[in-house]
Amino acid sequence: MAVDPAASSASLTGHTLALCRAARAAGLAVTHARAIDVFRALDAIDWRQPDDYRLALRTNLVSSREDEVLFDRVYRTYWGELEGAYEGDYILARSEMIQGYLPAGRANEAHREMLSETEAVGAEEVQRRANLALRWDDDAPPLEQLIRELARRLATRPSRRVRAARRGARVDLRRTVRRNVRHGLDFVELARVKPKTRKTRIVLLSDVSGSMDAFNPFLLQLMLGLQQALKSSRTVVFSTRTTEITNLLRRRSVPETLRTVADKVRHWSGGTDIGAALAELNRGILREGSARATVLVVISDGYDNGDIARIREELAAAKRQIRTLVWINPMFGASTFTVRAAGMKAALPYVDHFLPAFNAKALHELVRGLKALR
Amino acid sequence: MNDSDKPWQHPFRRIEDVEDIFDRHDYVADRPLGLTTKLAFDLEKPVLLEGEAGVGKTEVAKVLAAVLDTPLIRLQCYEGLDAAATLYEWNYARQILEIRLAEADAARRDSLEQTIFGEQFLFARPLLQAIRHPGPRPAVLLIDEVDRADEEFEAFLLEILSDFQVTVPELGTFEAAQRPVVILTSNRTRELNDALKRRCLYLWIDYPTPDKEREIILRRVPGIEARLADRVAEVMRGLRAVDFYKRPGVAEALDWARALLGLDLTDILPETLRETAGVILKYREDINRLDRLDLEALLEGHAVEREPDA
Repeated sequence: MAVDPAASSASLTGHTLALCRAARAAGLAVTHARAIDVFRALDAIDWRQPDDYRLALRTNLVSSREDEVLFDRVYRTYWGELEGAYEGDYILARSEMIQGYLPAGRANEAHREMLSETEAVGAEEVQRRANLALRWDDDAPPLEQLIRELARRLATRPSRRVRAARRGARVDLRRTVRRNVRHGLDFVELARVKPKTRKTRIVLLSDVSGSMDAFNPFLLQLMLGLQQALKSSRTVVFSTRTTEITNLLRRRSVPETLRTVADKVRHWSGGTDIGAALAELNRGILREGSARATVLVVISDGYDNGDIARIREELAAAKRQIRTLVWINPMFGASTFTVRAAGMKAALPYVDHFLPAFNAKALHELVRGLKALR
Repeated sequence: MNDSDKPWQHPFRRIEDVEDIFDRHDYVADRPLGLTTKLAFDLEKPVLLEGEAGVGKTEVAKVLAAVLDTPLIRLQCYEGLDAAATLYEWNYARQILEIRLAEADAARRDSLEQTIFGEQFLFARPLLQAIRHPGPRPAVLLIDEVDRADEEFEAFLLEILSDFQVTVPELGTFEAAQRPVVILTSNRTRELNDALKRRCLYLWIDYPTPDKEREIILRRVPGIEARLADRVAEVMRGLRAVDFYKRPGVAEALDWARALLGLDLTDILPETLRETAGVILKYREDINRLDRLDLEALLEGHAVEREPDA
């Protein structure tokens, strides 16, 4: 097919831009800088080679293996059945295919829809208001002290980096030489350093499905206490849906807090979909902030008969975005407990610390266990 | 393009050049790697290579350094890596010695502060070495396993990779005469900072296809017969389909091929595999697992997903 070079180049620009747009719509981070680099790359290669054209776009626009797969899919969809149909002139393929792609490609929204519509597996979807005040145990022993201890253990650890400190254990030679050369030649004054403390944030993912009802008093106490002890932590509850309640827990009065939480979380005591909850964290809260500074605490009995492969997959993804995964299982305290819940079984290989806790007494055990937590 | 103001020309005019030149250095490069490598030079962007351990990510940098005949400057990452370990450090022992000498020598004393913060008292660490590489051919800077470093280091790296200049307060600013070729590798134990990833060309390096692996074995294991290389590549594909803790990489395939050659074996039987398992599998659990797999089937090229008695 004879092609007018000028027309061909105009259409190359058009298609490349359209592909960048399609890639962005599909969720890839296509910045202006990256789009510009795509065009610089096209100058450097022979874009008439179909595969080179694809690879040049891909290597510039993706940042992970998943991105690569996603981009290839966008690319194939864009060219549809025309891929490979022409040798060098396929660039001139129909542009209306873009039009067809773009609306369908808003993967993000579609995905969110899908997540919220995930059906309860083996349990009914619940849509009612739970009376949480009845589940709050006024007589429970106060946990403040314990939770503060827990928060301290979870949220700090020594860093490998150092900071200047008068009583530090190590001598900082760079500063010592600098300081002493200024006033005399004997090392009268040693500059010292000590390890920095790393601040960690906690993301608490709490199972509020029906099977956890018996532990609600403890759960509520723990969520409120942790959120108030560590302002930077985030609290998310899930059953078949997932709701972040961080802001609701910031109120002072317990009854008021319970009321607003009950108002907002209508799926309390519902079924369980751990995979979906993790998926939502992976795409949201866990992406913010830095991987090494996040501890994810999951409180769940692991009873989930849903998509076990999905739980595995999402946990693997979550592990790359956090430092430590702590799983608190309220069933673990029972003397007859064995790990039978399918969801729990799937999760175990990814869990760094598996802890017992079903009431305040067990929490003492937990905090003791946390001495070794890193 | 602006070829005229570039004193040095990289040898990769076409993607095929990358493939050919790498081939001459016994590295079997496929098209995606060839293209990304070429673009790394054309766009002067760092390349981020991700993939399982042992698929040859680090090797890319080594080959590039050999091709360009320039130094390979390697920075192995770990948690807590900081500017002192990556940029420069003063030679304290020498500084202290100089201070002692100055005690006895008044003339020395006056210029002491300038003297002991001079270049001869400076240890250049990898990043500064790469920046100070005189050219004309660029140095190859390998930032290995960047996922092991922490976020503070990533932020610092981002700054270096955009400007390629470093200021030593006592000495002034160093700017790269010829920007190094930068290869970052990650085993993906955690996600890297988005900003850093966006600065880089990206490529996922997968386990090679049996054909490619056979080619690699023939290249790297002199004296091996084509048939045995074939078998090793086939068995490796079968083994990688099993869900081991640590799946064997190309490095293990090469070691195994060498081992078989050394043992004078021409075919691979279940016993062979069991006896030499330590070359391929590095976890005790994985080796135990091997005993429960249907090895006959595996050696015949069937997928063995689950244990026969499970």
